[in-house]
Amino acid sequence: MIDCEVNVAKSCTELTQILIEPSARILAGGTDILPGMRKNSIIKPITLIDVSQLNELSYICEHEGQIDIGALTTHSKLITSPLLLQHAPALIDACASIGSTQTRNRGTLGGNLCNASPAADSVPPLLCLEAVVTLSSHDNQRQVPLSDFIIGPGQTCLQQGEYLSHISFAVPQKHTGTSFMKLGRRNGMSIAVVSTSVLICIDQNGNIEYARVAFGSVAPTPILSHHAETALTGKTPSAQLFSEAAQTMLTDINPIDDLRASREYRLHSAGVLLQRALQTACHQAEMDMR
Amino acid sequence: MNKLTVHFTLNQQSIRLETLAARSLLDVLREDFALTGAKDSCGGDGECGACTVLLDGEAVNACMVLISQVEGRHVLTIEGLTPDGSLHPIQNAYVQAGAIQCGYCTPGMVMATKALLDHTPQPDETQIREALAGNLCRCTGYTKIVQAVQFAAAELHHDN
Amino acid sequence: MTTNTSVIGKPEIRKDAASKATGKAQYTADLQPEHAAYAVLVRSPHHHADILSIDKTLALQQPGVIAVITAEDIPGLKTFGLIPDQPALAINEVRHIGEPVVLVVATDKASAQYGASKVVMEYKKLEAVLDPIEALSDVSPIVHPAGNLLSQFNVDSGDLDSGFSKADIVFEETFTTQRVAPAYMEMETSLASYHPDGTISVWVSSQEPFIDRARIAATLDLEVEKVHVLSTVIGGAFGGKEDSSLAIITAIATWITKGTVRMVNNRSESFVAHPKRHPVKIHLKIGAMHDGTIIALDGKVWLNTGAYASYGPAVGSLLTEMVAGPYNIPNVTIETKVVYTHTPYSGAMRGFGSPQAHFAIESAIDMLAERLKMDAVEIRRKNILQTGDTLPTRVHLNETALGLEPILQQASAAVERLRKVKAKPGKHSGVGLALAMQSMGLGNGIPDNSNHRLEWLPDGRVLIHLGAADLGQGLVTVAEQITAEALGLPFNQIVTSPFNTHAVPDGGVVCASRMTYLVGNAMIAGARLLIQELIDQAATLLNQPKDQITYACGRITLPDGNTLSASEFTSRAAEKGNPILVEASACFPYPEATTPQHLPIGMPHVKFLFGAQVARVEVDAELGIVEVTDLVAIHDPGKVINRLGAEGQIESGVVMGIGYALYEDMNLKSNNQWINNFTEYLLPTSLDVPANLEIQMLEYPEADGPYGAKGLAEICTVPTAPAIANAVYNAIGVRVKDLPITPEKLYQASQIRS
Repeated sequence: MIDCEVNVAKSCTELTQILIEPSARILAGGTDILPGMRKNSIIKPITLIDVSQLNELSYICEHEGQIDIGALTTHSKLITSPLLLQHAPALIDACASIGSTQTRNRGTLGGNLCNASPAADSVPPLLCLEAVVTLSSHDNQRQVPLSDFIIGPGQTCLQQGEYLSHISFAVPQKHTGTSFMKLGRRNGMSIAVVSTSVLICIDQNGNIEYARVAFGSVAPTPILSHHAETALTGKTPSAQLFSEAAQTMLTDINPIDDLRASREYRLHSAGVLLQRALQTACHQAEMDMR
Repeated sequence: MNKLTVHFTLNQQSIRLETLAARSLLDVLREDFALTGAKDSCGGDGECGACTVLLDGEAVNACMVLISQVEGRHVLTIEGLTPDGSLHPIQNAYVQAGAIQCGYCTPGMVMATKALLDHTPQPDETQIREALAGNLCRCTGYTKIVQAVQFAAAELHHDN
Repeated sequence: MTTNTSVIGKPEIRKDAASKATGKAQYTADLQPEHAAYAVLVRSPHHHADILSIDKTLALQQPGVIAVITAEDIPGLKTFGLIPDQPALAINEVRHIGEPVVLVVATDKASAQYGASKVVMEYKKLEAVLDPIEALSDVSPIVHPAGNLLSQFNVDSGDLDSGFSKADIVFEETFTTQRVAPAYMEMETSLASYHPDGTISVWVSSQEPFIDRARIAATLDLEVEKVHVLSTVIGGAFGGKEDSSLAIITAIATWITKGTVRMVNNRSESFVAHPKRHPVKIHLKIGAMHDGTIIALDGKVWLNTGAYASYGPAVGSLLTEMVAGPYNIPNVTIETKVVYTHTPYSGAMRGFGSPQAHFAIESAIDMLAERLKMDAVEIRRKNILQTGDTLPTRVHLNETALGLEPILQQASAAVERLRKVKAKPGKHSGVGLALAMQSMGLGNGIPDNSNHRLEWLPDGRVLIHLGAADLGQGLVTVAEQITAEALGLPFNQIVTSPFNTHAVPDGGVVCASRMTYLVGNAMIAGARLLIQELIDQAATLLNQPKDQITYACGRITLPDGNTLSASEFTSRAAEKGNPILVEASACFPYPEATTPQHLPIGMPHVKFLFGAQVARVEVDAELGIVEVTDLVAIHDPGKVINRLGAEGQIESGVVMGIGYALYEDMNLKSNNQWINNFTEYLLPTSLDVPANLEIQMLEYPEADGPYGAKGLAEICTVPTAPAIANAVYNAIGVRVKDLPITPEKLYQASQIRS
């Protein structure tokens, strides 16, 4: 049994009120926080806020070129969404790779972001989509770019009394290709050793108009590689270009040695994955052109 | 630690339960209802699937669901698969295919199978393996389990 | 021995399958006694430390706490084991992380856990030794007073020096294997009750319930008859449940509190406090001729047995017998050291040393083949054992080896076929094979028998009083099929009693690939006695001459040609209070005339199993990721008793072998804690098995096996890892000599090469 209070929030307003208590934490899918509490690997909250009744926070919708995903949308719902299949297939690939069916039926996108693991699978594709998170408190709502939201391993910029209500991103332009690739130690239930996501937009001439390159598990937080993006912008896709991008990317990442892999292996495999992801994304963007 | 009252259905029966809010669904099933089909094998890490039950028709690890979270929902355990205690076609398939050795993973596997076949009545082998990737087995090597699911899918399809 | 069988060989459905499928089957932790207290252990957080003090005061004050127990409260023997060096509860010193120290009994689990957190321990950390080579040095910290070398085994045959001097080529290599967990799905658990008449009953999830009984009795200073050990459904064992620790501890709790107590290890406790597969280092020096004949082998083996002996010496001796693999090598010297360290102890685990030995020899022989520019199949063909050959232990190989040549032949065909499969774009494919040998039985000098009873019930069915526990592998089904065959009865006419040491004879430990052989022979012997009894009864009752009464298929035939069903007599016998009940026993033969007697107890083994596996892998060379696409498993169980069961054993053995080869490793982490959960210890999932798993079963009967049957349970996990290692080398030219083969290692090796 978990040693804490459980407070059931009946509405979003009530949620913001309970959240004012410093030692209260949201219990969404529970797939990170419950094992974490059992293992003592996280600071134990005194109150868990059960938000399972807040159905209004589970949705995927499009409005005027913007896609909004409610924080309590489960990974299972995400990966079967026709809207996301059309506009964010890399996000679907990422969420489909999380845990097991059972985990995905409970785990939420908001939970994945707020748990803020350096290995969080949903984050790299969302970084490429330049996603923005909306943080709500009882009297305020503010938007924060996802790249500013996660500030350290397990740390976000959520303030006392705030919760993440939804994630938004613009529907990518035409002639965009994306890719998500994850390296794990086994096929089932794998935690990323390294992951990468790229988004490439091709112009009329077949050159890269702009690129977004993101990585997981190679830094204290998932990150964008601006060096790689700069190296790619304006250039013609080629194996040579991808190799150069992989080189420049190395200065943006800072992987550690841990149980799953060494720093050296992560540096190497991040480069390999990036080149493969760029190959796939550019090919997809080119297909999109025809 | 606070108590609360939860209302949910358990194997098609309406339940009103007053208990400590921070208990897991797995503990409640095993301790309060003597439904010991769902089992602990990984200590609540969500890594083994031995406690798989259906929550509103979806396969979940009962160890990772707090009892407060089943308010207003439907829980189906292995014991509730057939109301009269006869063998469900999925259970029969597991039996006939030799997919059961020590049997400890079996209730979880069967429930994960039910969720799969409810959503995807004719899964291919990859879909079967993906659906069961969260259920560990040490005795069978999974081969006959996959065969059992294929057999069950054919049976259920035939019945329909 | 019949060649046409009516029940044997059929894929009979095991009778407990339905109850397992419906969740009704009750494992020990599912049993619902009216009241049961719950006990938990305070365990050592240190590799090695002196216990300075244990303060129970605060713990005893916690609501619900009934008792707080330490070693000094144990009335009888405080240590147990084959070599009784393992304290039930630590005495003055702890020797591994997770060692049980204090036992806290409370009214419920939460109170017990809370109470345990209030026990105040004072330790003095001591220097620890974790590596067996270091443990053998003069300056090593001491694990046990008698010295860190627990046991040593030496086998010598021929003349090693002469062999090496004649050899055209000599090469040496060192191989290491990692610590892995049996990782059965049901953690260790026990439920014990005290009865007013001074007896206790203990439910165990165990491979050795009679041994548990003896140890519990010794611990509590009770007569053995006062301890009843019972077994319900078991959730897997794989060797790891040849360990009495939790049964003993639960019995202590029940004895002291005079109540019913339940204990359940959680997964992390199961990792650190129950037997593992020995991590091993094997150094091989091999001398061979240009034509591939191996003429000399010098093997040095170190087993890291951990903090306590468990079955370490037995694993060491069996491993010694397997080091030379299934090859006829004239000059062999092997020295094996089983060494204590301050690590979670190793003991029995499926294969019992053979997987480690074969990783070494099967990798080495491939390496030798390459040096000699020989094909991997050819070099094996040149050297494999044949009937009549003498093993390094001086055992003459019986006709059980007849299957080895055909096995190799089939393996060769599989290699050819798989070599033709093209790799997917961007991948490198490789094919590798490995042969395997596994001994059966406990070894010479150890009582190796199995006792049961057969009872002919009034309604004509036959009840097996099985003296051994079904671990989940289907032993009961095998026993029932063999009994049915021997009596000419349908499978559903045979039933098996629940297990209780009070009610069944000692069937022996379920281990050593011997139960099909022993139990099968016991059932056949018992069936003969049963039939004899029946005929005697018929003769007496009907006043007919015994030698003119015959029996077949549940009916006896009288001299006048009339037949009567067996139930006519069994029901009458039961009415008279004298049911037809016979002993059904068998023992493993170690004929003195032919069994070498010069080796330590437990050596040599005299019966063997053989097999081979061929693996095809595709390697992503840039990332070092290995995918096993095909695995062909070729095994010879002598006679397949139950096809579903036999296939199930092989399928699981292969997957366990894949885990051993690629994923599983119970490492020490950077925070000085052992890997102890399924997030970090990676078991293969349903997505991690070969897309094509093919089983080929041969049947070369064992002359004195039941219907020719031998065994299967362990050998099927022996050749997997070396086959994969050989396939990886074939694919990308990287030879990994320390398991597991990880992407990291492949990457590092390819870096070194470039």
